[in-house]
Amino acid sequence: MNRMENPLAGVKSEKFRQVGKPLIRTDSPTKVYGTAVYAGDLTMPGMLYAAVLHSERASALLRRVDTTRAKELPGVHCVLTAEDLPASQGVMTDMPGQTGGMTKNTKQPILAKDRVRFCGEPIALVAAESVAIAEQAIGLIDVDYQDIDGVFDPFDALAPGAPIVYGDDNVVASYKIRKGDIEKGFAEADVIVENTFTTQYQEQAFLEPEAALAWVDELEVLNIRSSTQVVEHYRAVADAIGLPHNRVRLRAEFVGGGFGGKEVMTIEVWLALLALASRRPVRLVQPRERSFLSHGPRHPFNITHRTGVTRDGKITALQISFTSDAGAYAKLSPYILLYATVGATGPYRVDNLHVDSVSAATNNLPACAFRGFGTMQANLACEGQMEEIAKTLGMDSMEVRRRNFIRTGDANATGQIIRSAVWSDQCATQALAALGKRPENSQTTRIGHGVACYQQSYGRILWMKDSSEAWVGVEMDGTVVVRSAVADIGGGQSSALAQITAEILGVPMKEVIVYFGDGAVTPLAGTSTASRALYMSGNATQMAATRVRENLLGCAARHFSVEAEELDMNDSQVFVVGDPKRSMTINDCVKLCAAEGVHRHNLAIFKAPTSEGIDPETGQGVVFPDFTYGAHAAQVAVDIETGEVRVLQSIGAHDVGQAINLRAVEGQVEGSALMGQGFALCEELILEQGQLQTRSLSEYLIPTSEDVPKIKAIILESGSGLGPFGSKGIGEPVYAPVAASIANAVTDAIGVHIFELPITPEKIVKALRRKETVG
Amino acid sequence: MTDKKTGVAREKLVNIHVNGTACEITVPAWRTLLEVLRELGHVEVKCGCEKGDCGACAVLLDGEVVDSCLTLAWNADRRSVTTVQGLGGPGKAHPLQTAFIEHGGAQCGYCTPGMILAAKALLDDIPNPSLDDIKRGLSGNLCRCTGYTRIFSAIRAAAQALRQEGGTS
Amino acid sequence: MLPSFELLEPHSLDEALKMLATSEATPLAGGTNLLPDLRAHGRAGRRFISLAALDQLRGVEHKGNRVIMGGSTTLNDILRDPLMPKAAPSLVSMAKVFAGTMIRNAATIAGNICYGSPSADAIPPLLSVDAEVTLTSAAGERTLPLDSFLLGYKKTAHRPDELLKTVAWTIPAADSANLFYKLGRRRGDAITVVGVAVTVVIESGSCSKARIALGSVAPTVFRAKEAENILIGRPLTAATIDQAALTAAQASRPIDDIRASAEYRRHTVHMLVRRLLTQAWQTSGAKQYD
Repeated sequence: MNRMENPLAGVKSEKFRQVGKPLIRTDSPTKVYGTAVYAGDLTMPGMLYAAVLHSERASALLRRVDTTRAKELPGVHCVLTAEDLPASQGVMTDMPGQTGGMTKNTKQPILAKDRVRFCGEPIALVAAESVAIAEQAIGLIDVDYQDIDGVFDPFDALAPGAPIVYGDDNVVASYKIRKGDIEKGFAEADVIVENTFTTQYQEQAFLEPEAALAWVDELEVLNIRSSTQVVEHYRAVADAIGLPHNRVRLRAEFVGGGFGGKEVMTIEVWLALLALASRRPVRLVQPRERSFLSHGPRHPFNITHRTGVTRDGKITALQISFTSDAGAYAKLSPYILLYATVGATGPYRVDNLHVDSVSAATNNLPACAFRGFGTMQANLACEGQMEEIAKTLGMDSMEVRRRNFIRTGDANATGQIIRSAVWSDQCATQALAALGKRPENSQTTRIGHGVACYQQSYGRILWMKDSSEAWVGVEMDGTVVVRSAVADIGGGQSSALAQITAEILGVPMKEVIVYFGDGAVTPLAGTSTASRALYMSGNATQMAATRVRENLLGCAARHFSVEAEELDMNDSQVFVVGDPKRSMTINDCVKLCAAEGVHRHNLAIFKAPTSEGIDPETGQGVVFPDFTYGAHAAQVAVDIETGEVRVLQSIGAHDVGQAINLRAVEGQVEGSALMGQGFALCEELILEQGQLQTRSLSEYLIPTSEDVPKIKAIILESGSGLGPFGSKGIGEPVYAPVAASIANAVTDAIGVHIFELPITPEKIVKALRRKETVG
Repeated sequence: MTDKKTGVAREKLVNIHVNGTACEITVPAWRTLLEVLRELGHVEVKCGCEKGDCGACAVLLDGEVVDSCLTLAWNADRRSVTTVQGLGGPGKAHPLQTAFIEHGGAQCGYCTPGMILAAKALLDDIPNPSLDDIKRGLSGNLCRCTGYTRIFSAIRAAAQALRQEGGTS
Repeated sequence: MLPSFELLEPHSLDEALKMLATSEATPLAGGTNLLPDLRAHGRAGRRFISLAALDQLRGVEHKGNRVIMGGSTTLNDILRDPLMPKAAPSLVSMAKVFAGTMIRNAATIAGNICYGSPSADAIPPLLSVDAEVTLTSAAGERTLPLDSFLLGYKKTAHRPDELLKTVAWTIPAADSANLFYKLGRRRGDAITVVGVAVTVVIESGSCSKARIALGSVAPTVFRAKEAENILIGRPLTAATIDQAALTAAQASRPIDDIRASAEYRRHTVHMLVRRLLTQAWQTSGAKQYD
């Protein structure tokens, strides 16, 4: 078979047999053969089809919701509105998968009652014999709206006299950091540089829209099979509909993309209600136009940096303010704001720091989790500011970065000591070097090179007291099973557990079976979010597999009359390292264990470190388990007449600690390179007065095959991660610097900095014109 | 079933060969091939947008790759449809499938069935495609996960394997 | 989900024309515009006439320097036609960037023209080669220039009982260039922001004929005739080209929408017409194709 031409620069993974290698993922064959099952592919006898009526107004009272005609339509089994739900019910949209800790107002009504606060808010649910009938029924529901004043800009929302979206005011959350002596810092500066950066709504645009099937089974347990990132949502479903937790079973099928968009509940509660009301299985696959309304996009951010620097580029003081548009319900906005706040300084050490952040409620689409979760936007502003500082000082921006990179042992923005390796410099240097020689400008195109670094956490906020369980066992015939409720959302979450287990038990990876994603039957693993799945589930799996290995080797050691340390496992054999002819199959070893009554399986729980939170006045505290560092470099060609930008090269260099599956790691870098390109250049969810203007994938534009640059992944392995074998979380980290590197490359190409994303051709033309007139 | 007023057929018995097996289904004119295929159990044909923006629903119709969401079921009558399962499966994989697996061309996998069929159509048209040909051939298939890089290399590898086999794809 | 509708399936062109003459029905070819529209906005109860079985409407005849393209010719048919790069280079360039592969296998030239969208990609190249459309009905046939066929926003001279049978043009003479560029918000499968097709014919060192066709910058695709006239009878110096390009931009009547502002569109018309004319002038003498 042909090998892909992709130099594996910087990888030294010979210390493992399977870990670190680009082995075929366990989920690849089924996806390529088309046998992989997704939530919308499931059918059950007697199944009904759901449809949802979404609000057409952004801010209105609901004077009347009349479902009479819909209910009378033959084939309709039930029509539900807020009237049919007990008054107190709402959906908790707090940090999923946790045991509590609700922040302000994170409840959203399941169905709008009396008032709608955003265009898209669900008003009614229908279950019918066919999709056609369900859609027809939706059309027969009469809604009388009475428009009331809304607010559609976070700054307007925070101004006195603004219409209040909910609660007492429009402040959804706010944080601050006070570190060091900011006055002294600015006094020490030779130059002060101030800029404001804005980022836009980004839609996850996963290829698989929200889909789920719900039914009540013979035990009166509500079952839901859903496209979700969080199996633990069963608790929130149960609470929302008034069932005990042990009567809701949520299973996550293969998910056709999540990126955070399926991190809070999307359609699960709706289907649960319909299944309970109709006593039939009910399935929903959201049409794409409604998918846009069924989950939250990335928060738009307005970020101001005011940086004091010495003449040789050292940051002496940094004052940052963040304002984000939370939309009509809080959901995860407080946490996303927190991530942005604590990640405000990017990969740099800043001793004198002020950060003020606020997230405002508006009548826009409620924004929510999306790869990077606020830290990505924070990094983007940092990296744009780096370029501005360099320009002001007449220095190379990498020099300015090097003067300020945080180092192992330094304290970050919240005073947390960085323990891992920090290879920002090496990553940036390698990424930039890989761009190679700059091609010549032509008459109408300008070439630009840009780089961006980042610091992105992996693992959850420590006061969540996160944990993850995994079960590893060997069958009587020597075959290996892993059980974990981890949700597999396409990043190889379940496959990684097979690879780890295969390494430890010395069996071929493709022979390991992983049962995943079942909240009732597989040990709970926590969310597939926050770049935590490998860290948490990987560690739990490593622990469980290691215990099983110890048990097996213990038996074998007795059999061979050696110490356990003299044995190893490989190729499904247990053997004496010094005399490999003395061996037995894992099959025989298992039988030995069984005869001796020794367990061949283990359930392990991995607990992340914990902390008690940050000081509300200073923002100081230990927040995350660890951080990933790296860089991305981009080469662009800008057409100075039309403003079109072609990305020619896109190179990510990251210290991943230890790659578990090299192909999967590179795949994450490659995918994020294109997603970040979209964010930088052509993706924008456009809302006007709360009304979504970009309602389909021909209006919301993600990069296509024709937009793909030469993408390269450079993988460095410091081994200093907290995950299995020294790995780090990478799903979000590799995405963090991409848009900034492209923005910086455009700045380099045209000599003008555009501070508002996306950088459209029109903005470039306008900026060039301004540059010409200003001279 | 015929409309009494107009004499126009409301429903028709449609005969479609799917992956070599004859399937019969009675459907009205406004049903799409996507809906019909999934109803017949071919859930490997995915629905992503229902308007031709994403390519997840792509199938081969008499060898030509089309969006099944924009194809009326009536227009597939007496024609043959190939889904990704019709190309091959475990133990009998098409070189494109082998290459996609080897190269890691699938992450979440949702775009994959349509992507592979678009790739098949491309290689039928251009057995030795340039990178530009490949990019153009896949321009109707969105992928959010992979950045396409491994999809491109998988197609190149498959193209070479097919040329070495000396046959058509 | 599509709303319910009637679908008539004629097996011959005559049958189809008879149906069109006697009932209120819309021809349905590839459906790549019609079906998404129907799904999004359509009412139930419409009647369509499927052109799927009418093979005689599909295919391209090359007769000397005359090209006759059947209305049901698909965009991929254009790409597969080995003679098309010489017959209309701009049409081939356009087909390469028209939507995506699957759409190209279904979308037809007649559908693209008759839908009448100002951003119909096939129209600028066809205008740039002075294409004529032949419409056929039970009452007979008529031929008119494509230029006269486009009446306004989603409005053509197409009568309810007619089918667009062919699009035809004469291949430009030896020393000519025929170019197309599509500006979109991404490189693949994008709704056109500005579409430009130009033809320049050179005789004895000066421009004897020029066509500048613009898409997505007015209620209908149109020719910037005043701009074209500036070029006639002169060698195309940079100044002349710029003047024509500016005139073409001024003739545009673009709108602001989610993709771009009117101002930007006018600016890029200027830039792109200038660029394409320059390229056309520099390369004419050899047929230009990608």
